[in-house]
Amino acid sequence: MLIGHIGAVIVKIAFLSALAAAFLYYRVHREQSNRLLGFARTSYHLAAMSFMTSATIFLYLILTHRFQYTYVWNHSSTDLPLPLLISTFYAGQEGSFTLWALYAAVIGVFLMHYSSRKDYEPEVMSIYSLVLSFLFLMLVVKNPFTLIWESFPNDLLRNGPIPPGLTNYVMIDEAKGVWAQYPVEGKGLNALLQNYWMVIHPQILFIGFSSMTVPYAHAVAGLMKRDYNSWIRVATPWSVFGAMVLGTGIILGGYWAYETLGWGGFWGWDPVENSSLIPWLLCVASIHTTLTQRKSGAFVKTNFVLSLLTFITVLYSTFLTRSGVLGDTSVHSFVDPGMWVYWLLLGFIALFATIGFGLLFIRMKEMPKIPVEHSLLSREFALFLGAFALSFVALFVVIGTSSPIITSILKGKASAVEMMYYVKTNLPLGIAITFLSGLGQLLWWQHSKAGTILKSMAVPTGLALATTFLVLLMGSEEFLILLFTFCSAFSLFANLQVGYGVFMGNPKFVGGSIAHIGIAVMCLGFVTSERYDDKATVSLERDKSVEALGYQLTYVGYKALDRDRYAFNIEVAKGDVRRTVAPSMHFTEQSTLRHPDLVNFINKDFYVSPVSVEQPSKGEEQSLTLQKGGVAAVGNLKITFVDFDFNNFEKGAMLEGRNFVINVKLEVAEDGRKKPLTVQMRNDGAGNEFVPATYLAGDGSSYEFNLVRMMPDRDERSRSKVEITVALPVDVLTKQKGETLVIEASVKPMINLVWIGTVALVVGFCLTILRRGSEARLKSSSSVEE
Amino acid sequence: MKAKIIVGVVVVAVGIVLGAVNFIESNVEYMDFAAAQRANKKAQVKGTWVKDQATSFDPEKVQFSFFMKDDADRTVKVVLQGAKPNNFEIAESVVAKGRFSGEEFHATEVLTKCPSKYEGDAEAVKKSL
Repeated sequence: MLIGHIGAVIVKIAFLSALAAAFLYYRVHREQSNRLLGFARTSYHLAAMSFMTSATIFLYLILTHRFQYTYVWNHSSTDLPLPLLISTFYAGQEGSFTLWALYAAVIGVFLMHYSSRKDYEPEVMSIYSLVLSFLFLMLVVKNPFTLIWESFPNDLLRNGPIPPGLTNYVMIDEAKGVWAQYPVEGKGLNALLQNYWMVIHPQILFIGFSSMTVPYAHAVAGLMKRDYNSWIRVATPWSVFGAMVLGTGIILGGYWAYETLGWGGFWGWDPVENSSLIPWLLCVASIHTTLTQRKSGAFVKTNFVLSLLTFITVLYSTFLTRSGVLGDTSVHSFVDPGMWVYWLLLGFIALFATIGFGLLFIRMKEMPKIPVEHSLLSREFALFLGAFALSFVALFVVIGTSSPIITSILKGKASAVEMMYYVKTNLPLGIAITFLSGLGQLLWWQHSKAGTILKSMAVPTGLALATTFLVLLMGSEEFLILLFTFCSAFSLFANLQVGYGVFMGNPKFVGGSIAHIGIAVMCLGFVTSERYDDKATVSLERDKSVEALGYQLTYVGYKALDRDRYAFNIEVAKGDVRRTVAPSMHFTEQSTLRHPDLVNFINKDFYVSPVSVEQPSKGEEQSLTLQKGGVAAVGNLKITFVDFDFNNFEKGAMLEGRNFVINVKLEVAEDGRKKPLTVQMRNDGAGNEFVPATYLAGDGSSYEFNLVRMMPDRDERSRSKVEITVALPVDVLTKQKGETLVIEASVKPMINLVWIGTVALVVGFCLTILRRGSEARLKSSSSVEE
Repeated sequence: MKAKIIVGVVVVAVGIVLGAVNFIESNVEYMDFAAAQRANKKAQVKGTWVKDQATSFDPEKVQFSFFMKDDADRTVKVVLQGAKPNNFEIAESVVAKGRFSGEEFHATEVLTKCPSKYEGDAEAVKKSL
């Protein structure tokens, strides 16, 4: 029995235990007694522990290079440094589901302790365990421990005696003499993923994804318990935690795309990016509407819907990016995982949507109807509109990302929307959201007097106008962009004003203002860096200085980073400032990967993306047909066709259809010195391959000889002919031109605002978690704040 | 209360119209070269790279050009604004997004469709034995 079999069995145990935990917890809920609580907890712990064990086995297989396993072979290799080797754990589909399920299992342990103190354990944990069991089920179906000869039986399974000296084999059936040979080296990690972002980014994203289950579990638990208010208090710290982690993950992904992948910007509206943005937007919307329910008891149903949707969209996004349904319409390559995964994911969505919305529908009638008492000029209404706009953004992104599905249903041919779709639909909403995130902070609960608001709006409005004017100085822009700038600046100053007041009163409550400041600053950064950027495509001839975008650029040569990865050093100078950037290119068999590099100034980034490197062009080619013994002149070389070299062994190989080689012997004479030269044709059964030969002339220039055709004459061997080409050395003129590096350079003003805003956002979230966490700890009898 | 409902209805209506219009506009239609030339608008054309006709890259203009044969067997020179797309050589088929300019198809984007991963893997597994 192989260790992988044990791993696969343990996953099944984990699945069954999680299912049992879900059922037992449900019984505890129904019986309203703690008779089975101990069993339920044990089941959950067994599920979590088993899964951790199987994940450990999985990691062990990766670390010890067990290429007997398809996953290990497919994603890793022996030459990877340890951090990247570890990261191959989640480089593929099965592994990333394993990571997700692993984090979900661990979070569940904390959730159990948390909810038992809040008197929510049976309901929350029964739903949570059910979700977990479905994640485990994915891995039962899509087994990460699949053996490589199960994946490629035709290529690897053998019958009969084992050749002596072979060590990389496994005996499968001794009696029948069936054995399998397995690879000694893996395919390696996708070159795009080979950098330090891969080590940290997916981890954060999956912690975020896992924690999005918690608000869903609480919402369903609230419905089960007929508790329509206090579930919010219990769930909020988790929602904020999820939003913070997922938000950080999204922005880190953006930074990865910007700094390493070379997408030019930090956001490409790619399905993979969108898939984490959608649940994040809904989660943030729900954080805002639950705030209203805490104050006034309103939005009971809205809060259920948003919390349920947060998780449902996590599943839907996973379906979009993991089921292969988007096909070839994105720059990300989606491996077709098979119909099983497709239907399982659809099944998940259907099941969890039915549980959540079905229960909501059943309980709807008995929910308390809270009369809406707030006016148009109230914080409640601003929060509602803001959450509404956030949900609309989420909806537009869902529709845009689903475009290949929608169009293939409507038109029969899948096509993706262009990036402009997202910009055009979301810009007006962005304007509304930023404006409301400022205004909402200035408004009072219930009702505010128009006069008071106008007074408090005066300073932020003035400062926002000034900011917009400053931005306008950088160049004219569309009206909507300027409006967005104004609203972002308004939000920034309004939140600064309110935040200052709050901070003076109770520093603990300042989280919201700081988060809003973060978002506003980020939005300003988006406008300046994306709308006021300058771009130029520049051809840099080696060692020649070229001016572009106000900088002197000199390409000073390249350096090999490893076998197929090259860094191109460019000196960037402006006045006294002199820096070097080294964008790199990675030439793999299939493609060229381009990694940008940048110089980060306080007020801008100078961003350089390599496009291509043009080597001095090859010289002309001369074609010759030579009869045996014949001589032809190329430049000052005299070339003689000596003979074919096609011995009996190779002839035998050819007749038996095995690989064979034919050599064509030439003689090259230069100034009376003669040198033999051989060009070759290889046949590997599939086709002919010509192997060129290089002749190094006395002056150091090189001629490349290549075989084109062989015309043997069976009757009279001396009449045999060959056709060859000779590539002449590059002439003096092209040689001087030298290699040229083509780059795309851009200047991105104030991009640091995006990163500063990110930090503020995370700090704001952290403060909010602390505040809501301590609130949830205080067991207040009333569920509605006074 | 009434004012709020009106505001809500207007916002939703505007949102739906905005979304629908943009969705339709930004979904570039698939057609063959002949139709794309007739329509004289942005289109997506699916076809294959004609390997025996020359490809070239102009470093000054950063244009990559190649010849592409569409499903109706018409071959047209495609000029892509940018460098050679990834996986270009091994692609089974390519999709060019852009519009005609005279007899040339000026593409803003070229997507490549690669052979199924499984076939590639079966080859790769044999190599790594």
